[in-house]
Amino acid sequence: MVRVASETLNSRVPEGHVDQIWDKHRFNMKLVNPANKRKFSVIVVGTGLAGGSAAASLAELGYEVKSFCFQDSPRRAHSIAAQGGINAAKNYPNDGDSIWRLFYDTVKGGDYRAREANVYRLAQVSNNIIDQCVAQGVPFAREYGGTLANRSFGGAQVSRTFYSRGQTGQQLLLGAYQAMMRQVQLGKVQLYARREMLELIVVDGVARGIIVRNLVTGQLETHTADAVVMSTGGYGNVYYLSTNAKGCNVTAAWRCHKRGAYFANPCYTQIHPTCIPVSGDYQSKLTLMSESLRNDGRVWVPKNAGDSRAPAEIPDEDRDYYLERRYPSFGNLVPRDVASRAAKERCDAGFGVGDTNLAVYLDFRDAIMRVGEDAIRKKYGNLFHMYHKTTAEDPYKVPMRIFPAVHYTMGGLWVDYHLMSNLPGLFVLGEANFSDHGANRLGASALMQGLSDGYFVLPYTIGDHLATSELPTVPEDHPACVEALESAKGRIDQLLSVQGTRTVDSFHRDLGQIMWDNCGMARNKAGLESAVGQIQELREQFWQNVRVLGNGQSFNQSLEKAGRVADFLEFGELLATDALHREESCGGHFREEHQTDEGEAKRNDEKFNYVAAWEYNGVGEDSTLHKEPLSFDNVPPATRSYK
Amino acid sequence: MDALCRICCIPAELLAKVPGLGPLIRMCCTSVGQKVLMALTGLALCGFLVTHLSGNLLLFAGEEAFNTYAEKLHSMGALLKAAEVGLLATFLAHLGLAVSTTAMSRRARSKQYAQKESKQGAFALPSGGASNWMLLTGLGIGAFLVLHLVDLKFKLRPDLDYATQDGAYATVNMVLPSPVSFVAYSVALILLGIHLSHGVRSALQSLGVSHSKWNKLIEIGSMLFAWAIALGFICVLGWVVLNS
Amino acid sequence: MSSDLINLTLRVWRQNDPDSQGQFESYQLNGVSTHMSFLEMLDVLNEQLIESGQESVAFDHDCREGICGTCSLMINGQAHGPDKATTTCQLHMRRFNDGDTVTIEPWRATGFPVVKDLVVDRGAFDRIISAGGYVSVNTGNAPDGNAIPIAGTTQEVAMDAAACIGCGACVAACKNASAMLFVSAKVSQLAILPQGQQERSERVVSMVSQMDDEGFGSCTNTSECEAACPAEISVSNIARLNREYLRASLCGRD
Repeated sequence: MVRVASETLNSRVPEGHVDQIWDKHRFNMKLVNPANKRKFSVIVVGTGLAGGSAAASLAELGYEVKSFCFQDSPRRAHSIAAQGGINAAKNYPNDGDSIWRLFYDTVKGGDYRAREANVYRLAQVSNNIIDQCVAQGVPFAREYGGTLANRSFGGAQVSRTFYSRGQTGQQLLLGAYQAMMRQVQLGKVQLYARREMLELIVVDGVARGIIVRNLVTGQLETHTADAVVMSTGGYGNVYYLSTNAKGCNVTAAWRCHKRGAYFANPCYTQIHPTCIPVSGDYQSKLTLMSESLRNDGRVWVPKNAGDSRAPAEIPDEDRDYYLERRYPSFGNLVPRDVASRAAKERCDAGFGVGDTNLAVYLDFRDAIMRVGEDAIRKKYGNLFHMYHKTTAEDPYKVPMRIFPAVHYTMGGLWVDYHLMSNLPGLFVLGEANFSDHGANRLGASALMQGLSDGYFVLPYTIGDHLATSELPTVPEDHPACVEALESAKGRIDQLLSVQGTRTVDSFHRDLGQIMWDNCGMARNKAGLESAVGQIQELREQFWQNVRVLGNGQSFNQSLEKAGRVADFLEFGELLATDALHREESCGGHFREEHQTDEGEAKRNDEKFNYVAAWEYNGVGEDSTLHKEPLSFDNVPPATRSYK
Repeated sequence: MDALCRICCIPAELLAKVPGLGPLIRMCCTSVGQKVLMALTGLALCGFLVTHLSGNLLLFAGEEAFNTYAEKLHSMGALLKAAEVGLLATFLAHLGLAVSTTAMSRRARSKQYAQKESKQGAFALPSGGASNWMLLTGLGIGAFLVLHLVDLKFKLRPDLDYATQDGAYATVNMVLPSPVSFVAYSVALILLGIHLSHGVRSALQSLGVSHSKWNKLIEIGSMLFAWAIALGFICVLGWVVLNS
Repeated sequence: MSSDLINLTLRVWRQNDPDSQGQFESYQLNGVSTHMSFLEMLDVLNEQLIESGQESVAFDHDCREGICGTCSLMINGQAHGPDKATTTCQLHMRRFNDGDTVTIEPWRATGFPVVKDLVVDRGAFDRIISAGGYVSVNTGNAPDGNAIPIAGTTQEVAMDAAACIGCGACVAACKNASAMLFVSAKVSQLAILPQGQQERSERVVSMVSQMDDEGFGSCTNTSECEAACPAEISVSNIARLNREYLRASLCGRD
């Protein structure tokens, strides 16, 4: 049974018309005097687009910043892998874009489960992001005349995506990283690489510090500050196989959750339709093939199940271009969630191709015939090259085999309009928070959100918190610090003391399978209930039978992984619980019980028009559900149709 | 940075205070600056090789022409001495920089790989191999220079009778065909060709001479220059030996 | 597709911590699918090691799609293995033959001390960037993105340099352990773009100075770095750095 809190959550969205709220609020928020800023310290965990830009911007303002990342260098955060681009409402192409349109598209794309005021602010500052990045020396693509170039992405009818070849994330991240490294040189940011956050320190209900493990020496360190900023990314790796980097994890966010921060909408996960399929049991991660490929590629499966002919030998009449068949007006360019579900439906029905029958064809034959191989190479050369490297097949000659894979998580720690969680002093940015994408994220919006939070939102809202809060000094031997340190230490000792027989990875793989089978592209009550049980069982086995060798006082990658998987084993249960409770289909969350006759997602606005924020009550205990009601005063909810 | 300059061991900060020349001196204390100096001294030595070779080519013109040239050169007195001192200084600087940068590079990898393969493959620059032998080919050429000076400048070879020879042409025609010289000169000139085949291109790169449009030309030109010099000297050697 | 299985002998560098000696250990790994990536092969090795009670081999890796620059490894004497324009995580076992012996070593350079086994500390690269590899523009100071036009071709050249993933293969492959390709890529990107002009001289001087302080070797223009670079950064960037440095030294202020 779900325990529901009686009071609704206060999102602290100020009164007023959506297009004026942020401007007015910036005036209303309290400021910290420039001379006083250096007296405040801020911890930033994570150095991706959100964390890097936040650390740099806060340090520029004068705050003393400590920045942490588990990678060997802040430049390696997974934002670096984003390919396609970043949206902004610049309207450079003169094609009718505006802040309002970006706002509208994002709310609609999120299937009406995002907070309007946040989304509007995001659209508003999107233009500043482009300016800032250009000024940093980010080499965005340019037209011949020297002006910035744009391309189109899914879910929008205007060209508003700025890009640097297929490496936009890399270039934006390096811009933020360099801005941060400049502050390191100036002494305003202290950099702590190869540190993993293991605990949040909460003093009198206010977040005041963290415990980290130095991954090289194994030493646990206590760091205190006046505010803590979490920019630690998403939890896609709970599925084991995803397009996330191997190191991506939920641990930092989960530690905050266990210290009282609410976790919102964990069931909103994005499954990207075009990834290179799994090729064996040893598979460690999945590789994304950009959404842009569907501009020219046609998706199909054989009409006859088990057709073993080579794809080129299957004539058109024996091919089922199922997206074109089901969605004649959008065809191959339906949104991600729709394309993913359609591929799953065909494979479930036995029409899948490849060794595992879990793949569909993405075929460029017609496009190559139409515009020639050179034109295709110019557009997608690097992606074809990447595909070729991974599969040893030449996509110019044989169709790509693709299958959906976990890519992004819209859910995350709950935050208010200030990006502060329900724990005062704990701010959450980027993919780690739940805020702006609702139940489905549009392409090229993740980069926009990360940088918006870090460059242009947090620097304002954190000042309000610092200026209005009592923040007495917290010494390292404060009971709360000692308790957190002991808790982190106890956990490490516990992991090392099990001395079982199974490797960490084997548990992670099993968890991933449970999650993928029951909480993947399509979910149902029975499956979710069984998932909850299976996860609990697996968790129990983990704590009885995991084998972590080595010790805690040295560089120990098994121990790092074990801690992360232990947290995934708790978090996975919450994800399933959230999916179970949300008796509707919306965006990335598809409940088989709630679909139209044609198999499309069916929202239930009457009952589920809220953010589900979960409060932790202990391992295995039911979490308490806090609801934040949503209202759509500017973008009236409608059913999405792509027929 | 209170570090000492890697070349002159004077605190870098002190050097940077020399009025007007701070940045230049500071440059000379860095790895990049050392390579620039290496390039400049190398190219200067190339310049010398060109003049030296042009003089030597007069051997083809016969005894009178060559002797006239030699006498004219030696009559320059103080100017010649100055040039010689400058040449020696350039050579020693080139050598010193080579030792210094090599030492720096050795320090940069204290532990060697158990296995190391190039990734440049079959299409590597023809100079690919040469770049690995710069110090050794350079030292070889240095050793040859000692012999060359003893042979023809100081005329101190105990096994040869300089007194019987009259004029530069005759001296050359006595020295080069001697077996020791012939072998040493041949080997050294091949070493010189190898050294220059990487050195010239590398010097230009160190000075920042590079452009996507011209790089192929620069590469081929450097190679041609290197082997033109080496072959030029080899022709002279061969001519003299065959005529003796 | 049928899966081909091969048997390999792995010679892996094991070193407990920065101060210990380290040595090669040999492991026999059978039934390796040729569809695996090189790192997945190491995953399998590690699973087997743990199951037999031995500590796993430590190696750096993260995105496993060739962009984060975390993975490294000298594979049979070549940085990131035998393929050009490929990171270790993109290298697949189909590149190897049944019965092969594969030697795996960490990057070796004084500037990259070994942390454990195949893991090295590349913090030197971060310190070089913080010495000047940026444009000093505070958040909020930027003019409109289109205020300064940049020719498409100029942008392309800057992007070629900016594509560096900071993996350190250039240092690893260079016989002098020189970091010039890495440093020159950043210097070039910012020297080419108009946004980088204001700090052009100070930037190259500080970055080179930091590079020297980190203990990297000097560049002898062998171009081995270019051949080893998975992002195909060109040595023409090194020439540009040299130019920039000369310019800063000849024309720069005290």
